[in-house]
Amino acid sequence: MTPAARHQAPTFTPTMLLTWAVLATLPLWIERVGLYQYLAVEVLIWATYALAFNLVLGHAGLPSFGHGAFFGIGAYAFGLAQFNLAASLWLCLAAALLASAVAGALVALFISHRRGIYFALMTIAFGQVFWFIAVKAHGITGGEDGLLRIVRLPAGFGIGAVSLEDNVSLYYGVLAVFVLVSLGLWRLVHSPFGRVVKAIQQNEERARFVGYDVWKAKFAIIVLSAALSGLAGGLFAMAQRSAFPDVMSLHYSGYVVMMTLIGGGLVSFWGPVVGAIVFLLARDLIGAVTTSWMLWFGMLFVALVMFRPDGLAGMFAGLRRPAPPPAPQPVPQPGED
Amino acid sequence: MLVNLLPHLVNGLTLGLLFALIALGFMLILGLMEQINLAHGSLFAAGAYFAYAIATPRLPLPDLNQAWATVPLGWRYATAFLVAPILVAPLGLVIERLMRRTYGRDPLYGLLLTFGLAMVLEDAIRALWGTRDYTLPVPRDISGGFIFLDLIWSRYRFWAAAFALAAIALVWVVVERTRFGAMVKAGAHDGEMVQAMGIDIKKLRAGVFVLGTMLAALAGVIMAPIWGIRPHMGIDAVVPAFVVIVLGGVGSFWGAVLAGLLVGMVVGLSGAYASEWSLLSMYLLLILVVTFRARGLFGKKSLLEA
Repeated sequence: MTPAARHQAPTFTPTMLLTWAVLATLPLWIERVGLYQYLAVEVLIWATYALAFNLVLGHAGLPSFGHGAFFGIGAYAFGLAQFNLAASLWLCLAAALLASAVAGALVALFISHRRGIYFALMTIAFGQVFWFIAVKAHGITGGEDGLLRIVRLPAGFGIGAVSLEDNVSLYYGVLAVFVLVSLGLWRLVHSPFGRVVKAIQQNEERARFVGYDVWKAKFAIIVLSAALSGLAGGLFAMAQRSAFPDVMSLHYSGYVVMMTLIGGGLVSFWGPVVGAIVFLLARDLIGAVTTSWMLWFGMLFVALVMFRPDGLAGMFAGLRRPAPPPAPQPVPQPGED
Repeated sequence: MLVNLLPHLVNGLTLGLLFALIALGFMLILGLMEQINLAHGSLFAAGAYFAYAIATPRLPLPDLNQAWATVPLGWRYATAFLVAPILVAPLGLVIERLMRRTYGRDPLYGLLLTFGLAMVLEDAIRALWGTRDYTLPVPRDISGGFIFLDLIWSRYRFWAAAFALAAIALVWVVVERTRFGAMVKAGAHDGEMVQAMGIDIKKLRAGVFVLGTMLAALAGVIMAPIWGIRPHMGIDAVVPAFVVIVLGGVGSFWGAVLAGLLVGMVVGLSGAYASEWSLLSMYLLLILVVTFRARGLFGKKSLLEA
């Protein structure tokens, strides 16, 4: 460990402030470069989701292929709370957070003692269960037709309320959530608990022998990741004005894995954000030329897994450092910026 | 009462044998490469689409197509049945070639790589054939229905079960009674030792991949008349296959066959009471069994626990 790493990580870093600043000015120039405001909203929501997801994949080293379930449950909870409880933004977001946390806890009860491929396969099974229920429980979720007519609720602050009806104001609403979530996760990753999680990622058995309660830590990290994914799902329901089961499918659960990996979530805290931007841009840009965009993007992804599994962040770090690490890489460590 | 359940049991049996067939190819690869091939389902789908192209016929060569169309369906179907798996085999070789970089590394990379490949293949199918459903025509001798015990039975389901059973028996012979099978089993047990004894493990891996690929494609051809042919049939097949593997236990031939039958029966029987929800039952079965028996029914210690 270098002397610098032993220091308490700063609450704010230049990368963090730069990321926020660029994102804050995005609505001012996104249309100038030929894109559209809604894409910015989508990017931020998926970036939040990918950051939450990377808590399990990158930070705890647990490959989840069923995270779409939590995102989807958050989306449905947002809509159902709006229809059945009260049309309050805070209440609906809390419902999204809570519902997916409960689902996450249920799943975590069964899989917290697992890791590696077994973990991945069991998360696929649980993901399929939730997806299946969402498709078949027509009376609650609307089935394949989806849960429609979800309203973009205004953000009430006691004295007044800010409308989030148009895409730009919704963007800033989502940005506020993104800033809070990313700051919170940054602190968490660098907290004593975050170090326990990192120890588990590096060597679970050793962490257990040192005396940490590995099961509890894994349980907590899965629940937290699920809850924040659900929060992103709630925002997505608001942005889409509807909720559909397809975000819960194995495909979409894989997409968030792809985003996280492409950006370099295995080696970098901000990797998932980069990945979400690249993924959605590629979807729109390749998708403008051909309907089978995943055919080409999938090939890029395959090449990336083969040659640079540390993603764009890894490539960037490789450019800065003259000597890249050898091909069979040691256990990657995220959270080092 | 029991008679009413009988058709569902037969459905479950057919489904179970086919799940076992897909799972066996999946497991051979998992055993030797220590990698999960999520693109296995895409090979299953490719088998079905290739069979459709040969049997209907929808070949890319117009002249040959016309001549071929005059041949009786029975012959075209039989050709599709035998040739489609052979045509899919090179795809498996390409996947194996791409996966080589992940051998010996964290199995996560193999999982990610083959997930990407599954997405690529699924979209390639969409680009080539569109998103619509196709039906594979089946010769009259093995299709249609018959009446037994006052119930109408689908003749093809019995044939599908028989085909699957024959293929499973063939796998058993290859794995348990040939030199190749012995090498595969030895390689799964200790790859380095097998190499030290002068066996070319690269060729062995390619051979196993081709075998697994052809089994997946064959299962696709057999399943096509029952499920219909559509782009996401690959995902629909690969997930039950891994459920069967985890349930039966990695590395166990009979575990996979029994778990396949169990999954098929559970899906078939729950279909009798709640047809909408029948596929959910296999996941619940998996979660139930794995909660109490971490290595599945017959599993040995494997990379899944790494």
